[in-house]
Amino acid sequence: MSRLRKPRRIEADVCIVGAGAGGAVAAAELAEGGKRVVVLEQGPRHDADRFSARPMEMMARLYRDGGQGMTLGSPPILLPLGRGLGGTTLVNSGTCFRTPPQVLERWQREFGLEQLTPEALAPCFQRVEEALSVGEVTPELAGRNAAVARRGAEALGWSHGYLKRNAKGCVGSGVCAFGCPTSAKQHTGITYVPRAEAAGAQIVTGADVRGILVERDCAQGVEARLAGGGRLEVRAADVIVAAGTIHTPLLLARSGLGRASGQLGRNLALHPATGVFALMDEVVDMAKGVPQSFYVDEFAAEGIIFEGVAGPPSYVAMSLPLSGKRHAEAMGRYPNLAMFGLMVSDSSRGSVRSLGGRPLIRYDLGDEDLGRFRTGLMRMEELFRAAGAREVYLPLPTGVRPADAGVRDLKLMAFHPLGTARADARPDHGVVDGDLALHGVHGVHVADGSVVPSSLGVNPQLTIMALATRLAYSLLGREVPGATTEEEIPCPS
Amino acid sequence: MSTAPPQTPLDAWVAAVPQPQRTGLRILRALAKRPGGVRLLHRLAPADQLAYGITAMEHFEDPANAAALGWDAAAVAARGRALRREEGRP
Repeated sequence: MSRLRKPRRIEADVCIVGAGAGGAVAAAELAEGGKRVVVLEQGPRHDADRFSARPMEMMARLYRDGGQGMTLGSPPILLPLGRGLGGTTLVNSGTCFRTPPQVLERWQREFGLEQLTPEALAPCFQRVEEALSVGEVTPELAGRNAAVARRGAEALGWSHGYLKRNAKGCVGSGVCAFGCPTSAKQHTGITYVPRAEAAGAQIVTGADVRGILVERDCAQGVEARLAGGGRLEVRAADVIVAAGTIHTPLLLARSGLGRASGQLGRNLALHPATGVFALMDEVVDMAKGVPQSFYVDEFAAEGIIFEGVAGPPSYVAMSLPLSGKRHAEAMGRYPNLAMFGLMVSDSSRGSVRSLGGRPLIRYDLGDEDLGRFRTGLMRMEELFRAAGAREVYLPLPTGVRPADAGVRDLKLMAFHPLGTARADARPDHGVVDGDLALHGVHGVHVADGSVVPSSLGVNPQLTIMALATRLAYSLLGREVPGATTEEEIPCPS
Repeated sequence: MSTAPPQTPLDAWVAAVPQPQRTGLRILRALAKRPGGVRLLHRLAPADQLAYGITAMEHFEDPANAAALGWDAAAVAARGRALRREEGRP
């Protein structure tokens, strides 16, 4: 663990809270741009030599709360989050999508975020994609689990493709979510964090930030408790909060910031998801290859996306929606099991607030989203049948068909929490403005999923990183390299 | 010197889980080990699946049991270490 030896007080130009998708990117860009940067990260620095490819052991080490963070509501939903340098990019599947243009149009229309056009963000996306070596997975690396889904999609004529990922030199270890043992996945802990350090940024791990210091509506810095004891104060005229969608609103609230709009901690959007298994005649060996390498987006307009998911036997044992003899029989045929994920772009909204210092997440799945799951499960079964499945194991109680499933019948996890400090040009509708500056306070900015004002329908890491890149260049007072000036944008004919 | 048995991966994982889930997981584990508990779990479908899943997860976290299904975690981790050293990856 890196720890500052002496100083109780550090002077910096920018203090960044959190070293995940938003914080690490902003830190590197700002430090390389000449700013004095201090990053305070609550979790540890992980050593890839200790990545064991054993899911249970790695969940305890790499995930917040052992990966068992949960929403309260109907149904309760598991919400796994990463912990440490890299944040959730350390344990995600590495899938990379740019923000869909129709989502950016909606942000302009509904939230007044006129500056966030596809043209304005294009150089930010390009910069992030180059930094993370984003590229499409090859069919060979995708493995046989993806081949099963592809066969089904092709038989049904459904739109599909191989996903883009931030990986370099991947050999398909099959454990992206449990610490990449080859360091092929380009998470921010091994990409942007080292860049920030090389450019002089100080990275402090084990730092629990307790408050943001503000005087006369201007940021002064932050105060933190250190894991080994003691307190640290970082004095900085600019503070970037990047603690993630669940923890950022808690930090802002206990600092007495961001409440004026009444939106802080509200508007929580998730991508609720579930997994479906199929027993195939062929050997699949699902953990050999990239677990999330393939997608089916035939129903994306309805808010339903299928994305690959897979894992080693212990992960499958925990996820398989069976018990007793049937579970044992299915596990005995693990080499023949295929698995795929169903993700819903939600219209339900939840909230997060502090209860005894811990986040209390409320989220009830609404009727529209229940309908998406019913439809999605039916189509997933169709996909596997078309691929030649001998049996399909749906995540529903015995005897419950997808069309009849109730909310309580669903066995859900959720990913990609967004929106709890949402951006809106109007101070009475959002916590930050389109430039990610806190309304009404000078020098406090937010750069994580909490600012994203709506569900994206795709994995959000690239969106968060692009917004953080834009924020960094704005604080540097420079154009993002490769940016096209307004005059140069070709007009539509 | 402590005579406490070494912590298993399941113990370490359950310890990392927040309350009240931690207590819930411990109760499910205890029930799953007793015939009367198993009968009780059979009447509660979601709890039954969860209890069975935890027990099975622990079983297949054991390298010997995972190897029987074709998964060699130690080899995957060793290949990762070798590749990182060879290519100077972090």
